[in-house]
Amino acid sequence: MTHPKIKTHKLNLYYGSNRALKDVSIEIGSNRITSLIGPSGCGKSTFLRTLNRLNDTIDNVRIEGDINIDGINIYDSNIDVVSLRKKVGMIFQKSNPFPKSVFENIAYGPRINGINRTKELEYIVETNARKAAIWDEVKDRLHDPATGLSGGQQQRVCIARALAVDPEILLMDEPASALDPISTSKIEELMFELKKDLTIVIVTHNMQQAARVSDHCAFFLSGEIIEYSETGKMFTKPVNEKTQNYISGRFG
Amino acid sequence: MFHYLEEELEQLKTKIIKMGSLVEEQIEFSIRALFEGNLDLAKTVIRRDDEVDKYDIKIDKHCQRIFALTQPVAFDLRLIMSALMINNDLERMGDIAVNISERAEPLLGYGELLRKMRVDEMSAKVKKIVKMSIDCFVNSDAELAKMIILMDVEVDKLDKEIFDLLTKEMKAYPDLIVPCSHILTLIRNIERLSDHASNIAEDVIFLVDAKIIKHSKDPDNLKQKE
Repeated sequence: MTHPKIKTHKLNLYYGSNRALKDVSIEIGSNRITSLIGPSGCGKSTFLRTLNRLNDTIDNVRIEGDINIDGINIYDSNIDVVSLRKKVGMIFQKSNPFPKSVFENIAYGPRINGINRTKELEYIVETNARKAAIWDEVKDRLHDPATGLSGGQQQRVCIARALAVDPEILLMDEPASALDPISTSKIEELMFELKKDLTIVIVTHNMQQAARVSDHCAFFLSGEIIEYSETGKMFTKPVNEKTQNYISGRFG
Repeated sequence: MFHYLEEELEQLKTKIIKMGSLVEEQIEFSIRALFEGNLDLAKTVIRRDDEVDKYDIKIDKHCQRIFALTQPVAFDLRLIMSALMINNDLERMGDIAVNISERAEPLLGYGELLRKMRVDEMSAKVKKIVKMSIDCFVNSDAELAKMIILMDVEVDKLDKEIFDLLTKEMKAYPDLIVPCSHILTLIRNIERLSDHASNIAEDVIFLVDAKIIKHSKDPDNLKQKE
């Protein structure tokens, strides 16, 4: 890959003495959706969280190796973690809107970054709610509590909130696992739209979802990447027998 | 889900094997009917084609059900795709066995001519290829499949040689034009059997190696094309 957006080299992560990631080396291209699949406890969410240093908040975590984003090692001592997380947004399995209005949720990031003019905030909220395909559903209830929305709507508000700070990468940790099929389909369609401007890395347990949405797919097992390839190839002609067994439901 | 899928795939494979055995027998009977002038056996083949057609529909429906219920991937996906393609070839081979049987009556009493025109040699070769094609599916044997593709090329060559023999015979003995014309159609049918067996071999290579090699008869390309 000529200019990967994300590149890890011999990445190891330890929770105390437990080695949760083992020499993970991967290159993730720009404007692509890359899915991380594997059984529970295989390290895929741990890996995802290293990409915006969310593991920093966990005691006893030790990381070795490199993670470069746009060629810069994000674990360098001079890296501003807040700026990093602005550039690398995160969407979690369970939607987590703040106990505020829909408007204030989406405006939260820009506001703490110093934008206070109402007109500007209104523009940011509308633009990002549209990008997150939630505008039509919330435009008449912008000042209602976000927690009053349905699960699928809350998740899209969270995506709008993440987009409002202009990230370049969006990390999604099972973003649709708690949603019904229609809400799931809206999130997946949204991902296709968003990848025009963003690089998306998604953890999913849903094999069909990985097959549907991602351009590339990495199969993790026991902290290692067993296979990483173009998604069409992985789901028709996997190279490794463990991959074949996992994606066809033979274990995990 | 895994055990359910495994069971479904096993049942599908069993259906293909049973259909393959039936078709192989239909071909064997049709050729025997031809050379022995056994019109009852020819009628049996024609009548039993319904059984082949029933398998065809059963297998189609089974594949449809597995696709809908299990969303198969990788080897499982290729197995079902291969099953659909092999099913189609077997059904066509069943139809050809009927076509061959229908030649038994007009060629009654021409056993010597059939042998002179090397139809017995071609039939034996093709029966062997058909058997090998079913065996290579049963055993998922890609190496055997490659041999079948090469053998099909030999059948094509023999087909051309017989065509020349027939034209010479018709020129030399105009009173044999009618039986020779039937033999001409017959060798086309037998040659088509070999083509279908070769298609099955290609499907087996797709199943085992995930390589699509159809439309390439060059054995040197078999390892390269994907």
